[in-house]
Amino acid sequence: MDNEGPDSEQLLSGLEGSAGDSAVLRMRLGTELRRLREAAGITPDRAGFEIRASRSKISRLENGRVKLKNRDVTDLLVLYGVTDEAVRSKFLALVIRSNVPDWWGEYSDILPGWFENYLGLEAAAATIRSFEVQFVNGLFQTADYARAVTGLGRKSAEDDEIERWVKLRLQRQELLSRPDPPNVWSVMDETVLRRPAGDAAVMRAQYRHLVEVAELPHVTLQVIPFAKGAHAGESGSFTVLRFEEPDLPDVVYLEQLTNAFYLEQRADVERYLEVVDEISGAALTPDETTRLIEQAARDT
Amino acid sequence: MTTDEAPAPGEGAGGAGQCKRPAFDTSVANQARIYDYLLGGKDNYEVDRVATDAVLAIYPGMVFNAKANRAFLGRAVRFLAGEAGIRQFLDIGTGIPTAGNTHQVAQDVAPESRVVYVDYDPIVLAHARALLTGTDVGATEYIDADLRDTDTVLGEARQLLDFTKPVAITLLAILHAVPEADDPHAIVARLLDAVPPGSYLAVTHIASDLLDAQTQQGLTGVSDRMVQQDFSFRPRAEVTRFFTGMDLVPPGLVRVEEWRPEPGQDDAAKSSLWAGIGRKR
Repeated sequence: MDNEGPDSEQLLSGLEGSAGDSAVLRMRLGTELRRLREAAGITPDRAGFEIRASRSKISRLENGRVKLKNRDVTDLLVLYGVTDEAVRSKFLALVIRSNVPDWWGEYSDILPGWFENYLGLEAAAATIRSFEVQFVNGLFQTADYARAVTGLGRKSAEDDEIERWVKLRLQRQELLSRPDPPNVWSVMDETVLRRPAGDAAVMRAQYRHLVEVAELPHVTLQVIPFAKGAHAGESGSFTVLRFEEPDLPDVVYLEQLTNAFYLEQRADVERYLEVVDEISGAALTPDETTRLIEQAARDT
Repeated sequence: MTTDEAPAPGEGAGGAGQCKRPAFDTSVANQARIYDYLLGGKDNYEVDRVATDAVLAIYPGMVFNAKANRAFLGRAVRFLAGEAGIRQFLDIGTGIPTAGNTHQVAQDVAPESRVVYVDYDPIVLAHARALLTGTDVGATEYIDADLRDTDTVLGEARQLLDFTKPVAITLLAILHAVPEADDPHAIVARLLDAVPPGSYLAVTHIASDLLDAQTQQGLTGVSDRMVQQDFSFRPRAEVTRFFTGMDLVPPGLVRVEEWRPEPGQDDAAKSSLWAGIGRKR
């Protein structure tokens, strides 16, 4: 990745919903609507016309990026030939559920919209791959570590605001223990381990926590050690989200200080997949990584 | 078609025991990623899709081959863990993880099953380590080695599996990536020598006698020009010869979709892959 940001066409323009479980449901309903439309042989233009909207609205709707309206869905189901009353009422009941505010609604005063979008995608993802060059992945941070790194970027923040950020981060981590958790595969530069955040006790606890989460079957941690020299990670930190549905594209999330980029053009996504593939091939294996983290704990 | 195993273009085959890793390269197509694409996966790159499209222009049946090969993996491992009572698996040429991987099928039948995945591609192996993780009672291990380097494969497998008890070795859609110069029959013979009687071998292989000459030429051309791995077609007799010293389990060596098909399986499509499972005498 160059230092220039991606141009505006590359941004995921339609990500304006707020959602977690609702986001997941919306993506599933959108996928279902696409299947019904294609089965009925109806073009996106025709479907858009039917609900007084554009074809790109149909695309955003089918990708789960916008809230569904009862009236639009009712019209589309008629157009797609879904006449079974039981199916229609079930579908519409799900639409109502998909519009329920998500758990992070209570943080709306501190949450910027661009990060809220991420929370929805993260909750919907089947696989989350990340490359970290500076901090431990937020899903694996202890409260004390999170408090230390949150404080760094928000010098002027009140203590209670920092506490709410910490609480939000811990609440996000609950996705790791849900019944159908995503695979989270995080590769971090050794710098992440060696750069202290907080005092030695905070770091030791963080190391222990990393070793624990790495034992979860759906969590994979790898470290790319200093000994490997320069590697392909000139990109900086990033996250690739993949969804179960075959027709939902991967999304690359790039976080900036005051904004975030969401890339989903396949050509852009592949640049990042290349980097993360190459780095995971060169990094220590998960077992070696655990030993290195245990060593780091002993050194601290 | 395939998982991987073969030298990068220009490296030459070399002697047995030489280990030739594919460099991670997204400017040339790779068989593991082509297979992923044929199965509808998302772990492939533009270059893999271009090569696959060139393959499909010559032989559209490759999609069915890939799917039928994957479905065979499920039936074969269920047979091995079930009827054959095998609890140790050596899956060589793991490929990029998808649904219904060997350890999932085996540990679904018998949770205590031990599965060792072998692949020579460090990226494929990184995916396997991340995504192919087993049950608490069973075990899933990984060996970073080239099939042709049987010393390394067997040396490490011996640490992870009990070679005094039967082992099932699976070589699915991988032997056709080993050219004659590397003597695939000798490689398989060395693997089978190491395991006790009662062990099993499962093989699928692209068939020279199920495809016309023009199609084979076309596919070889695409693979020479665009793919990191070789592609060798072999006839029924040559594939049967991999099972020397073994009894083929009924129905014997057949088209991959004809090996103990499941009820309701689509029987219209025909693959061009031979498939068989043998039991060591």
